[in-house]
Amino acid sequence: MFFHIVLERNMQLHPRHFGRDLRDKLVSKLMKDVEGTCSGRHGFIVAITGIESVGKGLIRDGTGFVTFPVKYQCVVFRPFKGEILEAVVSMVNKMGFFAEAGPVQIFVSNHLIPDDMEFQSGDVPNYTTSDGSVKIQKDSEVRLKIIGTRVDATEIFCIGTIKDDFLGVISDPGATS
Amino acid sequence: MGRGPGEEGKEKFERREHDEYDDGKKKKRRRSEPDDDDEEEELEEESEYRVGKRRAKRSSALQFFDMEAEVDDEEEDQDDEEADDDFIEDGGVDILDKDDGRQTHYHPLLNFEDHEEEDFEALERRFQERYSKRDEECDEEPTEVEQQALLPSIRDPKLWRVICVNGRERDVALCLMKRYIDKGSHLQIRSAVALDHIKNCIYVEADKEAYVREACKGLHNINAKHISLVPLKEMTAVLSVKPKAVHLYRGAWVRMKKGLYKGDLAKVVGVDNVRRKVAVKLFPQNDLQALANKLDDRGVSKKDDFYSALRSKDGFLLKEVSSSSVNAHCIQPTFDELENFLHTDQIGDADMAILCSLSINEKKGKYFKGDRVIVVKGDLKNLKGWVDKVEEDNIYIKPDAEYHLESIAVSNKELCKYFEPGNHVKIIAGAAEGTTGFVVSLEGHVVNIVSDTSKQLLHVFADNVVEFSEVKTGVNRIGDYEVHNLVLLDDMSFGVIIHIDNETFQVLKGVPGKPVVAMVRPREIRCKLDRIKCGTKDQLNCPLSVNDPVKVVDGQWRGKTGRIVYIYRGYLFIHDPLRPEHAGFMCAKSQSCILVAGVSQATTNRNGEDPNCDYSQQRSYRGYSSMNAGGRYRSAREHDALVGAFIKIRKGVYKGHKGRVKEIKGKTVQVELEAQMRVVPVSLDKITDNMNVSMPSWQASRFGLGSETPVHPSQTPLHPCMAPVTDRVHVGMMAMHDTTWNSSPRMAVAAGLPINWGF
Repeated sequence: MFFHIVLERNMQLHPRHFGRDLRDKLVSKLMKDVEGTCSGRHGFIVAITGIESVGKGLIRDGTGFVTFPVKYQCVVFRPFKGEILEAVVSMVNKMGFFAEAGPVQIFVSNHLIPDDMEFQSGDVPNYTTSDGSVKIQKDSEVRLKIIGTRVDATEIFCIGTIKDDFLGVISDPGATS
Repeated sequence: MGRGPGEEGKEKFERREHDEYDDGKKKKRRRSEPDDDDEEEELEEESEYRVGKRRAKRSSALQFFDMEAEVDDEEEDQDDEEADDDFIEDGGVDILDKDDGRQTHYHPLLNFEDHEEEDFEALERRFQERYSKRDEECDEEPTEVEQQALLPSIRDPKLWRVICVNGRERDVALCLMKRYIDKGSHLQIRSAVALDHIKNCIYVEADKEAYVREACKGLHNINAKHISLVPLKEMTAVLSVKPKAVHLYRGAWVRMKKGLYKGDLAKVVGVDNVRRKVAVKLFPQNDLQALANKLDDRGVSKKDDFYSALRSKDGFLLKEVSSSSVNAHCIQPTFDELENFLHTDQIGDADMAILCSLSINEKKGKYFKGDRVIVVKGDLKNLKGWVDKVEEDNIYIKPDAEYHLESIAVSNKELCKYFEPGNHVKIIAGAAEGTTGFVVSLEGHVVNIVSDTSKQLLHVFADNVVEFSEVKTGVNRIGDYEVHNLVLLDDMSFGVIIHIDNETFQVLKGVPGKPVVAMVRPREIRCKLDRIKCGTKDQLNCPLSVNDPVKVVDGQWRGKTGRIVYIYRGYLFIHDPLRPEHAGFMCAKSQSCILVAGVSQATTNRNGEDPNCDYSQQRSYRGYSSMNAGGRYRSAREHDALVGAFIKIRKGVYKGHKGRVKEIKGKTVQVELEAQMRVVPVSLDKITDNMNVSMPSWQASRFGLGSETPVHPSQTPLHPCMAPVTDRVHVGMMAMHDTTWNSSPRMAVAAGLPINWGF
């Protein structure tokens, strides 16, 4: 789920950036530092949308660095247990398939794929129903439900299932091409 | 004479132990014992004839062996008719050639034979007395305190272990007895015991070691030098009767104790109690080479016979073994073993439950308060709940709220741990001990878990799993070495640690083309090679450095892509987080790889671009291109103004994307997309270059290289593309994207593919 929230961070800035565009420097450094990172509490920080306030800088003794408390608005993405997501399949193997929804990687084990879908190895490994009408392969888009999440410092990993009503393939690249 | 209080205590102790092992059954038999008396008397008479008259003289000496003899007695009691067979067999086979005392040893009831004149009624009375007394003793449940009181204390005579010649234990004990008879009370030892299951030594009870020496003097089967004191704590253990072997029955699970199949799991398919044989069904694991050799000797024609003799129809080996060569305790089957049997559908659900309980029944405290459990047997089957309280065998569970029930007691055996798919758990026993992962499904007692690190599917017994919130790979580091370190080994080979077991590393060796995994102990590692920062060149002579995305074009890993983690001696260790094997690592020669811009070919195909585009060309955005692409630059001099320019794509799949022109090839330009970490070819007429910002090429390269050089000699603080004031935050953000990616490519790769976050 995406959230638009306000976060705060203390930014250290090198004295050489002090000048007319200090604020810009601060902002660009903030973006560089936080965009694409992941925290357990908030999930992935996708993009900074605005700066709420920049507090008073505090000059560090000895180094000359200045610490600014910066409040910024950002879009974060955090998957939740039970959430339904649409994701793109990135790898298929006999244990299941990996899918990606933005920065989040989701693994769907073959136990969580409907029983009528069988793994077909070969050039393009895929899961296919016995009548061949539904096929999950790399780059398929699937709708899945997250049943477990694990949040590290740098990534969020999820376990998903498509063994439920209204879940499964929503567009099949094999069929369209 | 001679029976110290300690000894008596031991005797009782043993007897009670018996009671514990076969509770009800035995009592019943005792009740019927008066009937058996006649039978036993007959036996007595029989022996009487053989023993002869010296018996009378020896009555006191017999008491000397009373204790052990009674143990025998009890065993016989337990063993029904079979035991009687034994008795006759033993007596018949090897006693006749021994001296008479030996028989006494076998038959304690001869105690009473010294009263030969006494009539049978008197004898019977004695028996009644004897057994009724014992009944009384046994009927009352001995409390723990009472048991404790019976244990030998420091004041009791000590037990000495005397080494003797192997196989002569009984003889030695009998010699001691004879000596006692001859010398009477001059011999100051209290008792001597030879135990059937302990070879090479006998136990002598005496107050002092000197007494034992004195008693043993001159006995040629004894090594009197080796007399050692049995510690007080072990005294009871010496004389305790081992628990009776679990009764083997059809369908029981056992483990082989010896032979080719030592340690293997087997199922009992038949029991022959008389011959003491069991037929077991095993999963054949023959050393085929050995088998072939054997067959060669016998001639080929017999091969079929040989196999048919060996195997039953469902692929199992049927074997008849003596019942002593199987072990019915501590089975603890591993999952793989069970799977072999499972494949043939031989194991029903009930069997599975038995096996699972076998696997853990040795362990205490399998359930803890707060564990989620499900009832698997009985009326309450499928009831889920939480463990509330644990007592020995009963677990109090609090059923789920929907049942509106108070806590109920359920037997240990009727419960199984329960997990929901998606739970994050840790494996606490078995081969994958310490690993964490997600539960993906449940099959009765078996939980399927996807490991966090390897993404492999593991099958584990539910009882070996606990819920766990942290991520652990088991052990993550030993000493200085961590998973994913590049290490130099003792034999000067090198590799990446891909897994750490208890005390061993799995190292993916630096052998290009094929995965060579070595098990290495910490001391075999010479040093860590993490500081080595050298570059190398790929197949097209592009310099490679750590963190570059590459594609393998040769060898086994052909077509695989990944990020360079280590470069050492011209070998690359490439990491592809999506590959489950070897923790995603592969080793390749740098010459068999080419650099890519983080795009796998398949992705490009999907997006409808030229799939044949040369990846090495894309490399040029990093500013290295002048080395081999310089010629092209010159030939396309007229477009030089465009190279490095900021453009916007007007048409096509990338419509709306902004990017910087990296290179121009005829009618197409290579555009490094702002929003995605990749370079795409775009037709020249699909771009607009009215961004009015043409960047000097040094600045472009500075961008491409990220923030490695924070202080650039001619850097101007005013960044050209951050100029628009109206929307400076947004544009600034865009401008910083490539640096963001370059500064944290690990994350981008970790997430798999370039990420389009769609703003």
